[in-house]
Amino acid sequence: MTDANPNPTPPSRRGDDSPTPLPVDEAASLAGRIVENVEEVIVGHHDVTEHIVTAILARGHLLLDDVPGVGKTMLARSLARSIDCEFKRVQFTPDLMPTDVTGVNVFDERSREFEFRPGPVFGNVVLADEINRAPPKTQSALLEAMEESQVTVDGETYRLDQPFTVIATQNDVGGDRTYELPIAEIDRFMKQLTLGYPSPEDESEVLRRVTGRHPIEGLDPVATGEEVRRARETVAGVTAEAAVREYVTRLANYTRERADLGVSPRGSIALLRAGQARAVLDGRDYVVPDDVQAEAEAVLRHRVRTGAETGGASGAALIAEALENVPVS
Amino acid sequence: MSADAAVGRELELGDVAVPYHWLAVGSTGVLMATYLSVLYHVTDIVGGTAALTALVVATLVAATLAARHLPVSYAAALVVGLLGAGLGGYYLSVPSPYLVATSTGQILADNVALLTGLSVLRMTEVGAWALGVAPALSFGPWYLVLRRRYALAVAAGGVALTFFVLTGDAGSFVTLVGSLAAASALGFGTLARRGGTAAQVDAIAIALVAMVVVSSAISVVPGGTASPILPGGSAGPQTVEGSVVNNDERTNIVGSIELSPTVRFSVEAERRGYWRVGAYDRYDGDGWIRTGEATDYRAQSAPPGPSRTLDQTVTVEADRLGAMPAAWRPVRLRTGADNARVTSEGSFDPIGALREGEQYTVLSEVPDPSESELRTAGTDYPEEIAERYRQLPASSADRIRERTDEIAAGAETPYATAVAIENWLEANKAYSLDVDRPDGNVAESFIFDMERGYCTYYATAMVAMLRSQDVPARFAVGYTPGQRVAENEWVVRGLDSHAWVEVYFPEIGWVKFDPTPGGPRADTESQRVQQARERNVSNVDTDDSQNGTWTPTTTQPEDETGTETTDDGTGSENLTAVAESGPGQRPQLAPDREVGRTDSAPEIGVATTEAEDGAGDVPIRPPSPEEAALGGLVVVGLLAAARRTGALARLRRTAWLYWQPRRDPDTDVERAFARLEHLLADRFRERRPGETPREYLDAIRGIDRRAERVGEIYERVRYAGESDRLLADQAVALVDELVRERRGLGR
Repeated sequence: MTDANPNPTPPSRRGDDSPTPLPVDEAASLAGRIVENVEEVIVGHHDVTEHIVTAILARGHLLLDDVPGVGKTMLARSLARSIDCEFKRVQFTPDLMPTDVTGVNVFDERSREFEFRPGPVFGNVVLADEINRAPPKTQSALLEAMEESQVTVDGETYRLDQPFTVIATQNDVGGDRTYELPIAEIDRFMKQLTLGYPSPEDESEVLRRVTGRHPIEGLDPVATGEEVRRARETVAGVTAEAAVREYVTRLANYTRERADLGVSPRGSIALLRAGQARAVLDGRDYVVPDDVQAEAEAVLRHRVRTGAETGGASGAALIAEALENVPVS
Repeated sequence: MSADAAVGRELELGDVAVPYHWLAVGSTGVLMATYLSVLYHVTDIVGGTAALTALVVATLVAATLAARHLPVSYAAALVVGLLGAGLGGYYLSVPSPYLVATSTGQILADNVALLTGLSVLRMTEVGAWALGVAPALSFGPWYLVLRRRYALAVAAGGVALTFFVLTGDAGSFVTLVGSLAAASALGFGTLARRGGTAAQVDAIAIALVAMVVVSSAISVVPGGTASPILPGGSAGPQTVEGSVVNNDERTNIVGSIELSPTVRFSVEAERRGYWRVGAYDRYDGDGWIRTGEATDYRAQSAPPGPSRTLDQTVTVEADRLGAMPAAWRPVRLRTGADNARVTSEGSFDPIGALREGEQYTVLSEVPDPSESELRTAGTDYPEEIAERYRQLPASSADRIRERTDEIAAGAETPYATAVAIENWLEANKAYSLDVDRPDGNVAESFIFDMERGYCTYYATAMVAMLRSQDVPARFAVGYTPGQRVAENEWVVRGLDSHAWVEVYFPEIGWVKFDPTPGGPRADTESQRVQQARERNVSNVDTDDSQNGTWTPTTTQPEDETGTETTDDGTGSENLTAVAESGPGQRPQLAPDREVGRTDSAPEIGVATTEAEDGAGDVPIRPPSPEEAALGGLVVVGLLAAARRTGALARLRRTAWLYWQPRRDPDTDVERAFARLEHLLADRFRERRPGETPREYLDAIRGIDRRAERVGEIYERVRYAGESDRLLADQAVALVDELVRERRGLGR
């Protein structure tokens, strides 16, 4: 349904020829540049912007939970533009089919062969809008792509181009005709973020910027895909000492002891990875508890189910409580 | 302090967690050690230490094994069986003459008598008895405590300890330690069963210390007033074993005898003699014990060797006299036999006491061997003599033997040995009534350390030295001849009481040796009598004695054995405890300061109160082991109390803050940061649990740059995995600086 990628990555059998990591300071300045660049367009969401950049560096995907019209799409687009990579957008609807996401084999009359038409998932920054409006089967097609960084169509596996980051949005106001994401799938998003309404000053600034030429039009890339891939290697190499690992474990345990469903080990891993990215953002090659704390709410809150079943709010409260009470060592 | 409230079954001591069960086991072990120490002491005196140790160890091992496999009912039967077998073995080992006289009733009566404060040491075969009861006493409590039957274990051990407390063999200190151990075994046992908190452990410690403090102030154990745990309370210098015979009964009578210049009795006899009261065979390092029972009066055989008959008529001049003084060897009572019995070493003894004016006539056969007879007497001792009169506490025997070997180097016969020892003592030790009772073995102390002493010390040392040379000897007490007031009459005062030595020679019998130098003794004595006369003390003199001493016309003083030292007619000496007669008594080797003191003459005839003694100059001395142990206990209690009140934690905190021992860089940096945190907590606020070090340091405004640097180092070491000696040095040095400045944190 959207513009197909003319050069999809062929079925990948690439080895582990991972790119050389950037030095930490370069990675830090890269991340800083991206954040600044995005903020040319997005006003008043510095924290969210940082979270998104760290999620990309930590190979994570994002879930934006929000009311419509607060700039989710714009955020994703400016991000894709800043990194100079491909941006794709899928509007999830109740009738959206899995192949609408992943791509489909089309019979070529001339060559009399089936030819794979890549879906919108073959992009570097993929905005999956209103993911909760699509039926579970379609959702899970996207989620598999997120988890595996590859898609399988008719038995054929296609590796996705890196960096690959999904920014999915959910609208709170959907009411009926939505399919709530199952907890197992929501767990695959590294972070859940909320933009929220801008403050009056920020909003008037937004209005000032969009009059005339939209700032996104003039946005220049500040990083290449290759640089992002290398920065990801940097993040992966960040030291996380036992003290930090144990702190993460204690946080997870704290939620497990107090919620119906606590943070999964996948959540702990995500938190540590996010912490690594946060450390790089700060120009360090080691994680400190502060990094973990900075990421904890965004990474953990959607993974816990409290008894009240009041959703993210009480999850966030529990995480805040954990940060307050779990001793830092 | 939340750890205090945590219920658990372990005591956390720093990093070590000790289960309460093992604390209870340890306490029970201490309890058992208290009464087993009494048995050990017994075997130390009479021999069999190695056998006892082996037996106890074997029993403990057996009990440990049995605790795993043997049900309680079988174990109980086993203990009863062990006890029965042990006691049966003991009765079989008692020499038949004793056994003939014993019936079941008497055995029971004997045991009951033991519980009234008669030392187990009085038993003739106490060594066999100790070995007999040891297995049962070791097995029961140990088995029970290992099976976690704490209350039963303490009950069993407590009964055993109580027995020795009642016999008086367990002194105040042992009793106290045993009681503390019993209490803590119960306490920890309860904690082990039900779980306990650190606060409860503190409470136990405080309770134990309260026991120490209270019982030191008010001694409630038998003999406690006589042997208080800490000096200065009430009693004179006595030993733990002193409580054995230190009943009121003894003190009453001895008090008036021992200290008084008043007349005790007068003797009408052809010749003068040492008016002997009794002798003692068993030496336990602290004093003397007479083993065996007194028997009904019957005439005694004369000594086997040559002897001279001496008829003595003794008139009691004191209110009461608990003995029948007579020259050795008393053979027959011409009058007064109805009221007499014979002690186990052959002296006569009144049943009850003699009253003023009572008279008895006793016939003695005084051994009268020539010197050559003594020299040639040989060493062919009868078995029971050799066995009974050559015993020495094993713990000091070797040392005394070595010294005596040197002193008696040239002596080839027992007689020569005795003379050599006697001469050495007379030449090397000064006579003084004013001595401090040494700790530990009296003979050993007198021989090696002390420079002065009086008759009891001389006699005790000489017996010990003789016994170390395998010469049978015993400790004899009585009176010196006294003041000769007429040709055939001697007046004997309380301060004529004396102690000397009797040595056994085959075919001759017991021969007296007196190692105490005579001269100084006489001076002390006459001075005292004179003083008493000046103060008009009643009963210092009889009608005759006031008129002065009758001087014999012969110039040659009579000698009874030819070995006696020069002795003028008034030569006499105070004996601390001549004591009333009867089995079980023993004189104490306690110094008697009152007699020697001329500045504060108390009412004569009444024992100076102990308080006066204690009020005198107390010499500065190092604490005894008992005092050290008690001090240690008190310190433990104070620590527990301090912990309860948090003082200990504060103290530890401060010490911890100021002093940092170095280990590896990681630990050093972590500790340095912890110290910094403590410092900041004092000055600003504590770090909250969820607060990262970085947040904390950032949150404190105006913080010292050095503190920030420590924070950076901490972060790098702890989170970046850097381990660097230089960084650690820097961190520790910075924190040291900050701690020293204390106020240097804020700018």
